[in-house]
Amino acid sequence: MNDAEEDIPIVPAEPGEVGLVEPHDFVHAQPFTFESGQVLPGFTLRYETYGRLNAARDNTVIICHALSGDHHCAGIHALTDAKPGWWNNFIGPGKAIDTNHFFVLCANVLGGCQGSSGPSSTDPRTGRPFGLAFPFVTIRDMVHAQKLLCDHLGLTSLAGVIGGSMGGMQVLQWGIEYPAFVRRLIPLATTARESAQAIAFNEVGRQAIMQDPEWNHGDYPKGGGPRVGLAVARMMAHITYLSDESMDQKFGRRRTKRLAPAGVNAPAAYTFDVQFEVESYLRHQGESFINRFDANSYLYITRALDHFDLTAAHGSLEQAFAAVEAETLSVAFTSDWLFPSAQNREIVLALLRAGKHASYAELATNLGHDSFLLESEDLYSLVRSFLGSPRPS
Amino acid sequence: MNKLVEKRTVDMQIIGDWVEPGSRVLDLGCGRGVLLDYLQQTKQVRGQGVDLDFHKILGCVRRGVTAYQGDMEVFMRAFPDRFFDRVICSRTVQELADPAAVILEALRAGRAVTVGFVNHGYWKNRADAFFRGRKPRNPVYTTEWFESRPANPVSIADFEDFCTAKGITITRRALLRGDWHTPCGFRPNLFAGYALYDLTR
Repeated sequence: MNDAEEDIPIVPAEPGEVGLVEPHDFVHAQPFTFESGQVLPGFTLRYETYGRLNAARDNTVIICHALSGDHHCAGIHALTDAKPGWWNNFIGPGKAIDTNHFFVLCANVLGGCQGSSGPSSTDPRTGRPFGLAFPFVTIRDMVHAQKLLCDHLGLTSLAGVIGGSMGGMQVLQWGIEYPAFVRRLIPLATTARESAQAIAFNEVGRQAIMQDPEWNHGDYPKGGGPRVGLAVARMMAHITYLSDESMDQKFGRRRTKRLAPAGVNAPAAYTFDVQFEVESYLRHQGESFINRFDANSYLYITRALDHFDLTAAHGSLEQAFAAVEAETLSVAFTSDWLFPSAQNREIVLALLRAGKHASYAELATNLGHDSFLLESEDLYSLVRSFLGSPRPS
Repeated sequence: MNKLVEKRTVDMQIIGDWVEPGSRVLDLGCGRGVLLDYLQQTKQVRGQGVDLDFHKILGCVRRGVTAYQGDMEVFMRAFPDRFFDRVICSRTVQELADPAAVILEALRAGRAVTVGFVNHGYWKNRADAFFRGRKPRNPVYTTEWFESRPANPVSIADFEDFCTAKGITITRRALLRGDWHTPCGFRPNLFAGYALYDLTR
């Protein structure tokens, strides 16, 4: 049978944009055992898709999001939306991940708080949020849950899996867990082993949350909780996503307008109010974060990052990658000091030592870890070339 | 122009003849992956390139050649002894700050090492220096000195002395005349324009 004949020709959407999109919920109604051994009777993943699944059902590219990301990576939910999805510059018709060729799938991670099951979901046993009763989540658990979603969608294989930061960890895990199911891996700005420095930053964030009395051992009502602690955690983490150079360019030592009251030589500087633009920016980051993120999810997901160590899990990185069949393209950014280029290089070197196909490229940027979200023609070309066209179906 | 293209392919053909089918080949200073692409097509090698420049890596990825952006010596150090069947260093040695270190490291990480270079002992280069008093320029190195390439010109005599001094075995050599095509049997350091060597330890 020639599947291709049945295939309806792909009609390109608005040039360049995926346009209006809507999220879907995948409800897995069977017990799910976490790596920790804990079991949930079922779970939900919220996801979005863009582009069309081909007849062979093998043209999917999975996008794995980072710590504070979600499933909404491209397009808009309503015409009034102020901003499109977080990777809209990367995904769409004719873009680096071309939705004219690929069926793009992105799910909110297990343990998250944007619609997928996590500590803020309602525990059916109590009718209240799980809180700390939610099982501990690992990167592997996230990938297992995504695979169940793929099975539910009837996907036969994946053209690629791509993601930065924590998303890159999921990419590596995908290649290890389901070698025959994935053809291409693109981990960006990531590591195979969370470093002491990265764990340290995570711990400071968690302490800010857990020391906030409103945290109450994770037991707080929906919409409540440790707002101050979570905002501080976000402010601190946000610094690790930038760089000295980019902050200096963006803010320098510029003062906020509120200072310098008219006609007064008042020593307004001698207060602890916001004075510098960088302070005002970070406070804004913190405040907008608490309106969209759950503090317990922050604890769970940062713990998942901390526990990610492919070397320890498999004896060595070469052994970890022994099963990988996909081709890998790893990309790092020179100014990323959270997941420095050396940690990305190590991924590729270990893959090569294990006899796998892997390429490594490095972009000179000054934006720090967040560089992977950069609008860069070089990055677009690289990813587009690597993904190529899906196999003829 | 055509002559230049031909000169490039002669180099590739000889290396192609030396390479074992299906072997694991590392190309140091792989550029946009033209040589590895050719070897993958004709010899089904498992190719790996290394280059410093992002756009060269991009060119390799476009061709379906796997490549690593970074320092070649540091790269090789990440591999066990004799991991690669062959390490190729073609038209790269002149650009290296420490060619001995790179070639010796290649002889460790690879079972065989292929080195190719423009012979700066070639009579036209000598004449250039003698009559014009200028840095040698030829169809490959067309630049003025201030454009800085090649950094460290090498002649056939220099290279063979180096191999003797380091106890490196020359298993094969291809010395070509100024047309880079006809084999050169007579006083190659003077009459050969291009030299290719196959080395082992």
